Amino acid sequence: MIIDITDKQYEEKMVVLMALHEVVDPELGINIVDLGLVYNIEIEESSKTISLEMTLSTPSCPLGGIITGHVKIAVEQAMPGFDTIVDLVWEPRWNYDRISEAGRAMLDS
Amino acid sequence: MMPPDEHRPLKRTILPYYAAAAVSFVVVALLCLVSGTEFTGHYFNPKLLAITHLFILGWGTIMIFGASNQLMPVLTERKLYSELIPQYVFALMLMGIPLLVYSFWNFTLTWTIYLGGILVIAGMALHAINIFRTSKKVKDNIATEFMLSAHLWLLVTAIIGFTLLVNFRILFLSRDHLEYLKLHATIGMAGWFLQLIIGVSSKLIPMFLISGYENKKCLNIIYYCLNLGLIIFLLEGFMNNSLMGKLIPSAIIMTSMVSYGIYVRQCYKHAIKKHLDAGMKQTFIALALLSIPFVLLFINLLVKGEVSPKLVTAYGFAFFGGFISVIIMGQTFKTLPFIVWMHITKRDELPEMLPKDLYHEKWVSWQMYIYLFSYTAFLSGILLSQTKLIHIGASCMLIAASWYCVHVLLIMNKLRRK
Repeated sequence: MIIDITDKQYEEKMVVLMALHEVVDPELGINIVDLGLVYNIEIEESSKTISLEMTLSTPSCPLGGIITGHVKIAVEQAMPGFDTIVDLVWEPRWNYDRISEAGRAMLDS
Repeated sequence: MMPPDEHRPLKRTILPYYAAAAVSFVVVALLCLVSGTEFTGHYFNPKLLAITHLFILGWGTIMIFGASNQLMPVLTERKLYSELIPQYVFALMLMGIPLLVYSFWNFTLTWTIYLGGILVIAGMALHAINIFRTSKKVKDNIATEFMLSAHLWLLVTAIIGFTLLVNFRILFLSRDHLEYLKLHATIGMAGWFLQLIIGVSSKLIPMFLISGYENKKCLNIIYYCLNLGLIIFLLEGFMNNSLMGKLIPSAIIMTSMVSYGIYVRQCYKHAIKKHLDAGMKQTFIALALLSIPFVLLFINLLVKGEVSPKLVTAYGFAFFGGFISVIIMGQTFKTLPFIVWMHITKRDELPEMLPKDLYHEKWVSWQMYIYLFSYTAFLSGILLSQTKLIHIGASCMLIAASWYCVHVLLIMNKLRRK
């Protein structure tokens, strides 16, 4: 996921994105950002809410609850005072093309 | 949308299977050691029947049942139909297999063997019902099709086996017992084990290698060739039992296997993760070992024009001791640490370790080196009728199996310490 530098909340979103690097896919051993699982980040200052749109590699992934739980912990540690809402979406469906160059390098190391 | 945690099966539907299979593997190795001399004789003898059934049921089938309880929800994207059935299945298999193996070992054709057979068939039927109900209404999913037809062939194999047991007491089959035994063995090998492993690996190999390669056409060819070959083999075996009737389905099944080899090769070629861990290396070694039983069979047919009893023993050992055991040993360390990690990791705490930290990668490699040495020695011992080689092979197999078993139990022990 790439955050537009002209975005008004660029800095805050980058903090969230960096925090999400702490959440690692247990099988592949790389973080969910480089794996391409995070689709969108919205920060609502007035309601102190961070909404995340993300997916899983497959809808039947048995780790869904664990990963979303870890996402909440990582984001709320990085942005104290904010509530995190994780919305799992299946469209567009995740595929291997979503893995970043850094992710590919980590996978093949 | 809520996270799909409901797809995660209970650990008691999976882990007891892994533990029982690991222990069975040690017992198989021990029995191979104490009855090593039997492997130089005819394959139809009580000790070999007992060892083979413990190998196939206690080690291979129990492990596959446990793994399939974890994998079916992933393959079908559905919750397991029942989480109670796997617990009944486990109890039935745990009672039935020892009765069956004990009776074969002593060749006591009394109630114990029949009760054992009935319990095992009941366990298999219940497991198959759970798999079929889980995949109900799943469409356009070739991996699931492989799973379903493999379970059908498993039931066919078990029914033929039980019919043979009945025929020991009440002679009603028209032809030689050994002819039906070949059918029982071949359908079990190709219909159950091979088909199931191909189906599951068609999904797991691209998943583990992060390979974007997809070829439904190739998978369909593999599926239809394998099943067509098996149906012809079964019908021919019961009706004509001619040499041509064996060669035609064998050629069709071989086409299927060659296509599978091409499929796996393409998956690797398109993989993002080309660096293989110990578990995946073993999977590829197992796939290479799959060719050995067929090479043996082919050479024997070419040189002698018939299959000798010694070669049947070698062929069976090469299949179960090679392909099946090596793939199970490798995949254990791809699946078990993941399953255990899933149950020890808390949602509200970032984990300190990953599944790869729950096992020793070097142990996996050393277990395999020892096992491959034991396999080579044991197989050479059978082919050369050298009991010393068989004993060396069985001793090393016992070391590798015990190490593997300890490793599996240590991983599971992490659950107690959470």
